Amino acid sequence: MVTIGWRLRRLAQALFTVWAVITLSFAMIRLMPGNAMGAMMVRFEQQGMSPARARELVELRLSLDPDKPIHTAYVEYVLNTLQGDLGTSVFHNEPVVDLLAAALPWTLFVLSWSIFISFFIGIAAGALMAYWEGGKLDVGLTSWAVLMGSIPFYVLAILLLIFASYRWGIFPSGGRQPTGVEAGFNITYIRGILYHATLPVLSMLVASGVASLGMRGNSIRVLGSDYLRVARLRGLSDYTISTQYVARNAVLPMYTTLLISIGEMFGGSIVLEYVFNYRGLGLLLYEAFNQRDYPLMMGGFVLITIAVVIALLIADMTYSWVDPRAGGQNSDSY
Amino acid sequence: MTASDRDRTDPGRAEKSHESAVSAIPDGGTVNSPFEVVSEYEETRRDRLRKLYDTYVYAPISIIKRDWRAQIGFTIVLFYVFMGTIGVYLIEPTYVTEGPALAQPFETWEYPLGTDDMGRDLFASVVHSTSEMLKMILAGGLFTVTLGTVVGGIAGYKGGVVDTVLSSITDVFINLPGLPTVMVLALMLPIHGNPYLIGVLLTIASWGGLARAIRSQVLTLRQEPFTEAARSMGVPSHQIVFRDIVPHLMPFVIINLTNAARRVIFSAAGLYFLGVLPFSNHNWGVTLDLAYSGGAHYRTGALHWFLVPMVAIVGISIGLILLGQSLDRVFNPRVRARHEKKFAESQLEEVDPDSDDDSEPMIGAA
Amino acid sequence: MTTSQSTSLDDPTAADPVVEIRNATVRFGMERGESRVLDDVSLDLERNEIFGVVGESGSGKSMLASAMLDAVVEPGILDGSITYRPEAGDPIDVLGLTTNELRTFRWEEIAMVFQGAMSSFNPVRKIDTHFVETLSAHDYDVDEGMERARGLISDLYMDPERVLDSYPHELSGGMKQRTLIALSLILEPDVLVMDEPTAALDLLMQRSIVSLIEEIKEEYDLTILFITHDLPLVADLADRIAVMYAFEFVELGPTEEILQHASHPYTRLLLKSTPNLASPIEAMRPIEGSAPDPVNVPSGCSFHLRCPLADEQCVEVDPEAYSVSDSSVSVTGSDSDSDLSPDSDATSIPNSDAGDHVANCHYWEDAPETIPMTEEWDVEGIDAIDSAPGPSRTADPLVSMEDVEVHFETEGSFLDFFSEPDTVQAVDGISLDIYENDVVVLVGESGCGKTTFGKTAVGLQEPTDGAVKYRGQDIWDLKRSGGDGTMSFDTVRRALQIVHQDPGSALNAHRRVGTSLEVPLKRWNPELDGNDRKSRIVSLLEHVGMSPAEDYIDRYPHQLSGGEQQRVALIRAMLMNPDLILADEPVSALDVSLRVEMMDLMIELQEQFDTSYLFVSHDLSNARYIAEKTGGRIGVVYLGELVEIGRPEEIIHDPQHPYTQALRWATPEPDFEGGGMGGESPIREIDVPDPTDPPSGCRYHTRCPEAREVCTREHPEPNEASAAAYHEAACFRTDDHHEYWNSPSITDGGD
Ligand code: SF4
Ligand code: SF4
Repeated sequence: MVTIGWRLRRLAQALFTVWAVITLSFAMIRLMPGNAMGAMMVRFEQQGMSPARARELVELRLSLDPDKPIHTAYVEYVLNTLQGDLGTSVFHNEPVVDLLAAALPWTLFVLSWSIFISFFIGIAAGALMAYWEGGKLDVGLTSWAVLMGSIPFYVLAILLLIFASYRWGIFPSGGRQPTGVEAGFNITYIRGILYHATLPVLSMLVASGVASLGMRGNSIRVLGSDYLRVARLRGLSDYTISTQYVARNAVLPMYTTLLISIGEMFGGSIVLEYVFNYRGLGLLLYEAFNQRDYPLMMGGFVLITIAVVIALLIADMTYSWVDPRAGGQNSDSY
Repeated sequence: MTASDRDRTDPGRAEKSHESAVSAIPDGGTVNSPFEVVSEYEETRRDRLRKLYDTYVYAPISIIKRDWRAQIGFTIVLFYVFMGTIGVYLIEPTYVTEGPALAQPFETWEYPLGTDDMGRDLFASVVHSTSEMLKMILAGGLFTVTLGTVVGGIAGYKGGVVDTVLSSITDVFINLPGLPTVMVLALMLPIHGNPYLIGVLLTIASWGGLARAIRSQVLTLRQEPFTEAARSMGVPSHQIVFRDIVPHLMPFVIINLTNAARRVIFSAAGLYFLGVLPFSNHNWGVTLDLAYSGGAHYRTGALHWFLVPMVAIVGISIGLILLGQSLDRVFNPRVRARHEKKFAESQLEEVDPDSDDDSEPMIGAA
Repeated sequence: MTTSQSTSLDDPTAADPVVEIRNATVRFGMERGESRVLDDVSLDLERNEIFGVVGESGSGKSMLASAMLDAVVEPGILDGSITYRPEAGDPIDVLGLTTNELRTFRWEEIAMVFQGAMSSFNPVRKIDTHFVETLSAHDYDVDEGMERARGLISDLYMDPERVLDSYPHELSGGMKQRTLIALSLILEPDVLVMDEPTAALDLLMQRSIVSLIEEIKEEYDLTILFITHDLPLVADLADRIAVMYAFEFVELGPTEEILQHASHPYTRLLLKSTPNLASPIEAMRPIEGSAPDPVNVPSGCSFHLRCPLADEQCVEVDPEAYSVSDSSVSVTGSDSDSDLSPDSDATSIPNSDAGDHVANCHYWEDAPETIPMTEEWDVEGIDAIDSAPGPSRTADPLVSMEDVEVHFETEGSFLDFFSEPDTVQAVDGISLDIYENDVVVLVGESGCGKTTFGKTAVGLQEPTDGAVKYRGQDIWDLKRSGGDGTMSFDTVRRALQIVHQDPGSALNAHRRVGTSLEVPLKRWNPELDGNDRKSRIVSLLEHVGMSPAEDYIDRYPHQLSGGEQQRVALIRAMLMNPDLILADEPVSALDVSLRVEMMDLMIELQEQFDTSYLFVSHDLSNARYIAEKTGGRIGVVYLGELVEIGRPEEIIHDPQHPYTQALRWATPEPDFEGGGMGGESPIREIDVPDPTDPPSGCRYHTRCPEAREVCTREHPEPNEASAAAYHEAACFRTDDHHEYWNSPSITDGGD
């Protein structure tokens, strides 16, 4: 169904996007008014360095040579970035890549749980609403879903922090791992990690509201379809009908929604990790912003973008595998 | 009962059809060329105004009147608009040490929602934040919808190289992660707390999704027989796009408008809460930030400091969701026709049991 | 329920009903009151018969199908009784079954083929899963069952392995439909209910499926209830026919009886309104009025508003089923009025004796006289048509197409390094001249490129090769150069118009009728003011019978019926004052009884507006009606090529190309003379070859019964096909000296 040509085109599109983002970040660092380079120079000079020394440092940190003509500098920057050299953090004085690599798993851990659980809840709730469409449960769950859709995750995060942590003391108020336990593959440590991740994950569950409304609409459509009617007449069991017919067809369109929300959640992790003081990618980026640590900031930005690009690429590439009808064109569905 | 049967029961209408029958008689003689007929029938300006009123005022209001979601949504949104426009003149802006620190809500008329730890009146700060927020919503919402519709529409209708170029650009923006992009740009660009600029900035990464969806819908719509018919009549492209295609996209655009508005609210408050946007004024997010850094989450008696801005944020987004869901019906000709005075019910619709409104809640549509 | 028992004693040969339906009624509660969508229908379905139910859309015929399986969708309520009598064992009261029993009963005893075959399969699962899950849900042996499935699929002329391994969307419509039939027979039911099983298919495919149904019925010992809107189609197949109007049976009897001695006025009018190939076109008449709304069925006889024979009795008394006893309709003074006993209505059921013919009409005896249809049923009538005013085809053509080619690339972009893009050769080298006041009807199967060719002719599709000329000017050159002084592209644009197949989507759903109709006037008659425009629109609407026009102007398209929508679309095209209108299947979306009326209207407007038509149709009888009435030509298109063209007399009565002969065979005809028509299928393959890879040589050679070896190599060019004027065909058989005649046959049976 899906031609090689289409897959190639999609891949080219993804590469184009990565290139565009890298170029954008180069432009931001270099060309914009109040650009990063200028700002860094000023800062170093304020710290009492000689302009020459400052320039040298900036060059080192940004992996950019300010004196080179702009096109050479640009080519170098792109090549460096593609090779994983994102410069050195001003504040931490460590390679940006190492810092990001250390923080990324924690964020991925929280995000994957959040996405998994909220879509699970969303799909289940949506199916229930559709099955009892118009009933009390439907009205109740729809109201719940609208409410969930209206609450920003950080609002829920703060509320959880106030109650579950400070008032009732059930969960820790911050951090990502238990103190005083040796990091490693032991039960106490893993339990500690889960314990610390619970509140961040719970806060992200507001996403289930929107998901459940989507699922509700899809299921209602499937329930009214001809093939469902034929399946009933053929005497298929309720189990087969609900899993192989309703669920499969209704969940399919959610697939792209799901992968799209990864991008949004990555962005959201900045606020989330700030609230819970959870040391992941988001908090790292937040600090980089506050300290005007440009190399780290732009490195994080490029990394997150690439992560989103890859997620969407996977979404498009695998969609035809999930849905036999998709000939590649269905990637337009979002 | 057919429409013509109903005529007879409505004296006003019977008269009208009589009038037209009279006008048709002169042609009756020259039936061979109905094409050559010139004006016999005079439509008065009042008739025309009445029709316009019926279509654009009466029907939408009547749709909204019958839908509880729309009523609640409208009331909430109007309330916020009232706060943000007239409210600012009624309520004095607050200042530090205006009242006692951390006064509890609902205790005095002076500080109905309590005060923060510096004695600022939370009610006043909510009201004054609203106008700022509304400006951002307006700018961000319009920006998303305009750019998304125009780019998506052109890409879809023109096709070819134009489509390839626009789609590639769209794709880049779709892939930009929202909050980090805004933070980076806010740092680089001289926005100085201008609410309109902030609104636009906040949606810089979100118009892409709409553009892409609009593009694929336009691709379908331009194949539809009615657009083909318009093309064959020599109607210019821009008219086809605006008169034939855009109306079909309206429900979709409206849903996206309210989604964009919610996104603006969430991101603005979120970024102000982080303290990464430059601010000069009140904002719900700023209040959250102050409360957080003021330790309101562990101090006793400070809970309302958080709750007041939170309720403000959640309230307006509930209003927007409900409004979006119901406005979508206003653009549906089936629903609209049913609510116009002329055809209270149409025989054709009722035979088809599912022709009743099929609008699903679709806040997740984009 | 005892009635049928007693009849079976009387006549042991006939009465062995498999299913007895008594007083089946389906009701829906609606805002405006209760609606009955099936009204007190009783029927005995005899074992091993094919029973046809004919009705227009909204006559309740699909409800009858659902009722047979107790599968009426909520919130409908089904009353009455339905008894199923298996060959061995006790009768089953279908409506009394529990949910679980019903689950077993359906598909094992009575199976159903739905109208929507296109959407009857789960889109994300392969075809074989559908078979397997059905077998296991009913605890059948899966291996054995799948063996049977393969047998069924190959009986339906498909490759079992390929079909079973496909996803639903990978099969063509005709294949899906046949697969659905196989799926319905997988549990070896006794009764098969088919609800419009061929409605969405081409004639050739329809006809092929109908022959397959006959074969399958014999082989699998089935009783079939065949529901359709197409009387001629079912007439070929069914042993008995019931005609439905307004949610009840109005006439029921053996097929021959119904065709030759139709006694209910509706049946007679329906027969007359159905275009066909044999009867003279003058005899075809539309039925006035429209079918009733289920909430508001007229009192007494539900047909009285449209019936030419109606009187007070019809308004007051609901006619019972009168027995049209002797087939040689004896028009004697009848005492049927005195038979009227009010209680006889409830119990009078169509007699299960298969020989019986009943009609629910008080005046059934008078119907044949008032609504005659027989006098000119002889072939001579057709020659008279020769006098039809044909356009003069000597003058310069209005639109001429020279070797037009339209190739679509299915997949193509600058990044496709590896795969050669597939090209669909939608139109491949067609030349055709259309003159002033000319009518050309293109017929062919769907996907053969006739619509694409039509759109090319009116300048809506740019040809990839060849030229389209309007009054001698190449229109695409004109468009690119922006006009040369004598003519501008605007002139062309205005002269060539289109009327689409689906009137619902041809009008912008967001615009009122008046606004839609204003568009051409605003664009081309800027001198008119609002009131002038309005009067023109009003007078045209009145002219096509949409009055009060004032009322229609303010309606949205969804507030019009299909026929009214099509009229608006037609007027809109006419307001441009065009020279040529492409009418793309303009009547196929309408009910049978409305088609003749719409075609008449189009022909009338043609005369008034002096236009030419290019019709596109998949239905040979509609094509004949139009071409014969206007003195036009019929062109037969196959896989992007024009294989035969000529006047209807030749195309219908003297087709030269084997494909035209196949279309001719596929067109069902009500056989008023008695005796079957049918005959062997003249095609070797049911399915059309893949248009991305058309056969070499003559494109028809894969299906042609006359194909010889040379046909696989050489491509036949259009050739004089007979002595008649304008008759050409692209087949070697038209050339008496071609090497074809010495070439060996490639068909299995030999020649
Ligand atoms: S009963 Fe009367 S109205 Fe009905 S079909 Fe017969 S003659 Fe016509
Ligand atoms: S040329 Fe040969 S294959 Fe083609 S239609 Fe004629 S006989 Fe058949």
